[in-house]
Amino acid sequence: MPPSPRHIPTGSALAAAGGLALAASQWLVFRHAPVEATMGLTQKIFYIHLPLAWWALASFLVVFAGSILFLLRRNPATDAWCRAACEIGVLLSGLALLTGMLWGRQAWGVWWTWDPRLTTTLVMWFVYAGYLVLRGLDMPAPRKRVACAVLGIAAFCDVPLVFLSARLWRSIHPAVFASKGGGLEPEMKLAVIACTLSMGLLWAGLLALRTGQIAQEERIETLEGLAGQDD
Amino acid sequence: MIRLAKAMARKDLTLVLARGNGLAQALLLGLLLIFVFSLSREAGQPVTPQEAATVFWLSSAFCQVLVFNRLFALEETGEARLGLLLLPAPIQAVWLGKAIAGFCLLLLAQVCFLPAAVALLGQDLSGPLTEGALALLLVDLGLCAVGALLGALATGQGARESLLSVLFFPLQVPLLLAGIKLGAQTFGLSLPDGPGSWLRMALAFDGVFLGAGLLLFGFLYSGDA
Repeated sequence: MPPSPRHIPTGSALAAAGGLALAASQWLVFRHAPVEATMGLTQKIFYIHLPLAWWALASFLVVFAGSILFLLRRNPATDAWCRAACEIGVLLSGLALLTGMLWGRQAWGVWWTWDPRLTTTLVMWFVYAGYLVLRGLDMPAPRKRVACAVLGIAAFCDVPLVFLSARLWRSIHPAVFASKGGGLEPEMKLAVIACTLSMGLLWAGLLALRTGQIAQEERIETLEGLAGQDD
Repeated sequence: MIRLAKAMARKDLTLVLARGNGLAQALLLGLLLIFVFSLSREAGQPVTPQEAATVFWLSSAFCQVLVFNRLFALEETGEARLGLLLLPAPIQAVWLGKAIAGFCLLLLAQVCFLPAAVALLGQDLSGPLTEGALALLLVDLGLCAVGALLGALATGQGARESLLSVLFFPLQVPLLLAGIKLGAQTFGLSLPDGPGSWLRMALAFDGVFLGAGLLLFGFLYSGDA
């Protein structure tokens, strides 16, 4: 079954709702949540950094699950979802890295440090950027889809190993929800949950919208091919 | 399957090594990397064991890219790949054969890289050699599992070396870290927690990618051009 452009209106609506919700959640970030005593206003980066990182990981999980499904059923629509999820994942993880670097500069005095989560995010960014390079190659579509699916599975299998190896090296990343007694004040927790959910809405919208665009792109390419045959 | 894998490996090794420049490009690139890095230190200034191990594994990683690029290019002429696909044996035998051939070629190259690293980077093998050898074998096994799986991705593509480098290097980060730490120990660095956790990391990587290779190679190595 080919991918369908019917996701574009749904995706646009979801993305718009997500954008508005994210804008509204800034009230919680700047008015409701208290200013952190040590880092001051810089700590507010965290409310955008965490959702970016989590939804980037969700994107890569979609690529992994979609790649398995694609190899089992060979449905081009599944492949379109994987491509869209990877593009969004690379974008979000890139932004998570940038915001993490800004945080690190203020908190630790360096732009970059060897931290398992930062390193894992960077390595994932490289791996999935490689996936997008593979997507851009000039090779027959069926072969490209299979190659990308194999890479999508191998890449996600690598994530826990990257995290563990980076942790063995050393870590200074702050624990957020994992610390006993809670690393966050309740107001901060509410703000971060609101930002994460809003970002989730935006993510779902972008994913549907981009999948629809990919479907349209493939239809246009098919039509161009048919027109070329007629000439 | 094992019989075909052995025959594949023997065929690949014969084709690569019988030609004068079979492994020369990979060897020269690796040795050049070690030499160029040795220029980064002032005369008489020591290179730390970790830096030396990093350069050694960087050379090995580039060598791996060139080796697997060459191994998969062997079947491109005359559509020999289709002949392999018609063999009455599991296609995983081709993956295993390529991995064995790659493993032998990588080890052969490292026989040159190791003395070069010791001489040019001012190191000595003062650490535990048995653990160092075990680490070398485990890391090479992982590199070859990845190389034999993803090397098939670039079949028929232009600029394959750069594509394979972009795909291989980030995936291999855990394995390279293990190789660097264990290599540094072989060059005399003391690991506070011992080598056990890094050896387990290399073993886990090998397990994941040997499994992935067995499961996924069949999808990649098909009749599609």
